[in-house]
Amino acid sequence: MVGFSRARPSVRGAAMWLVLLELRAPLITLILAYAISCFGLVLIPGQTDTGEPYHLSFLQAFYILSYTATTIGFGEVPYPFTDTQRLWMMVVIYSTVIAWLYAIGSVLTVFTDPEFRKLRRHQKTVSRVRSNRSPFWIVCGYGGAGSQLVRFLDTSGMRCVVLDAEKTRVDSGRLSTLTYELDVILGDAMDPDTLVDAGVQHPLCQGVAVLTDSDQVNLTVATNVRILAPRVPVFARSGSDANTRNLRSFETDIVVDVERTAARAIGQLIQRPKAYALYHELVDPDLNRIEAVPIPEVGHWIVCASGRFAELVVDVLLREGVSFVLVSPKAPDPALGLDWIEGVGTEAATLRHARIADAAGIIAATTHDGDNLSILLTARSENSHLVTVARRNRPASEPVFRHGEFSVVLREGRLLAQEMFARIQSPLLHQFLAQLDLMPEALVEGLIDKLHRRLPSPDVELDHHVVDVTESGAPAVVAQLSGETAPRVGDLLVDSARTHPALPAICLLLVRFNGDLVPFPGENLQLQYGDALLMWGAQGVKSRMDWLLGREDVFAAVLADRHAAHRT
Amino acid sequence: MNTQRVWFAFFIVLALTLNFSFFVGEIDNPLHHHPYEFFFALVVSLIATVLKIGDRSHVGAVLLATSLVADVQLIIGAVIWGYAAQEGLAIEPHVMASVVSLAGGAMVANIISVILLLAETIQIKR
Repeated sequence: MVGFSRARPSVRGAAMWLVLLELRAPLITLILAYAISCFGLVLIPGQTDTGEPYHLSFLQAFYILSYTATTIGFGEVPYPFTDTQRLWMMVVIYSTVIAWLYAIGSVLTVFTDPEFRKLRRHQKTVSRVRSNRSPFWIVCGYGGAGSQLVRFLDTSGMRCVVLDAEKTRVDSGRLSTLTYELDVILGDAMDPDTLVDAGVQHPLCQGVAVLTDSDQVNLTVATNVRILAPRVPVFARSGSDANTRNLRSFETDIVVDVERTAARAIGQLIQRPKAYALYHELVDPDLNRIEAVPIPEVGHWIVCASGRFAELVVDVLLREGVSFVLVSPKAPDPALGLDWIEGVGTEAATLRHARIADAAGIIAATTHDGDNLSILLTARSENSHLVTVARRNRPASEPVFRHGEFSVVLREGRLLAQEMFARIQSPLLHQFLAQLDLMPEALVEGLIDKLHRRLPSPDVELDHHVVDVTESGAPAVVAQLSGETAPRVGDLLVDSARTHPALPAICLLLVRFNGDLVPFPGENLQLQYGDALLMWGAQGVKSRMDWLLGREDVFAAVLADRHAAHRT
Repeated sequence: MNTQRVWFAFFIVLALTLNFSFFVGEIDNPLHHHPYEFFFALVVSLIATVLKIGDRSHVGAVLLATSLVADVQLIIGAVIWGYAAQEGLAIEPHVMASVVSLAGGAMVANIISVILLLAETIQIKR
């Protein structure tokens, strides 16, 4: 820490010092011009009205000089000047006016210098970050994933400080339309000073999300944060297994490997479409309904991919037991015994080789957006019933993919932002997502149906929230815990209106104070102090539930009513 | 030898010596204190101040502060003098005394400045 307290002043006020340094020469010129002029005026004798010689006093000389140098020109006081005085006045006028122009010009040069403006802007941002009074996240890398994550955080009421080395991205960050003003720092995230400027040591810093494209940068930033601010959680992106292991080795809190996530999503989509739909409704703040893609029962899949992503998808599909044909320019490991067609998949002939007429779906997941679009369009013209899965690489291609009417579009940046945001939002959701992977599809389907039966209409927007059974989270429930009628999970899910109709919500996960997990708790499960519940239901349920759980009298009445109804 | 350092030291020392030249003499006798000496002491002091700007070390900051003190003292003295001597250079002994004592204060600041300069110079290892 000592090292930093010494390094700090180097930034603070640096811009002002730069101006002062630049101003040294003009200031001295100005002082000398004034001094020589002033002294000359005092030395040169003048004449009074009556012709007697006199000398200007320093006060008078400085007065004349002041209005002459500033080009105001009040005239010749106290008496009209002699010709000698006028001769000197000409020297005074030209030298002082030029000295002023020089000084003002120097100031303007400094202020319009792009480096100087950059420095000032940087200082402003740094001081704003330093005086921040609300919790914030630091996001390194303002690309597709970064901007998406910032938007998610912003809508959930979290401030962000963005770090990026590229000026165009930083500018787009400054122009973004977010609720909170985005603090953007232009700089190399690998430089520890930049991290400190971004507020990594600020007591309200909630965490650092490292989302740049380079594994090297992500790794360096993660290690730097670990050392500079050990208590701050680090969420890092990783592009290879070696890097993931490396990041995990020094306790990086969350490591998201986008390609792995995308491959897993493909597997989930094909084998358990309902779980896929639930997963994405929960992790994506923009997706507020269950959109299950109908997956045909029969038919094989065509995977067009190359490189590491192809390996990952093949791995997942083999594990899930999906029959598929791989279309890739490079031969896969022969030991796997895959059905492999050489090619990219953009040509109809290649796709026909892959028996496209009998296929259930096609996954276009090359690293080139143009190829992916071409594959899918060709495939659709060969077989119009195909499920089409597109991989979108560049955010700029988004409009084409959005209008392409594909069954599923995998956006890497978005996937990454979703994965991180879900984990930032609540640890409970994180735990539930881990559980969801283990749940059979029928259970997930039953759960979705259960919620849908409670919804007033199928297109109600969905949302989730967490209820903590503590004094601050649900005081009314805590007050009843020791009473005769112990509150149960179902008692939280009712409306306080007369007949206590069920709220359009269900409980996905209950976590006991000791860490025990109860996925999909029954409505008769008794609550205990310290329980945390993940609720999922229509938007707006949170406020109604919070109101009920905050009013001891109302909740007691509801509990008594329900208890009485239960007994009869 | 660094030319910049020469000018730097030159102006700091000159500010002190000019200040002293003005200061010596009977405190309330206008004949002992010439306005030209005062004028040059002020100008040199201002130049010394500008030269001290830009050194961001701790000693640099204190040097700048002493110079600013000297400037303030001298400018107040100049204002008092200018105000009191409205008609020519005839000046009351008590006004002269206060101008000279203000200049004396400025001299103390200049002495500190020179001491710091010496201390810094001595610290430099050859």
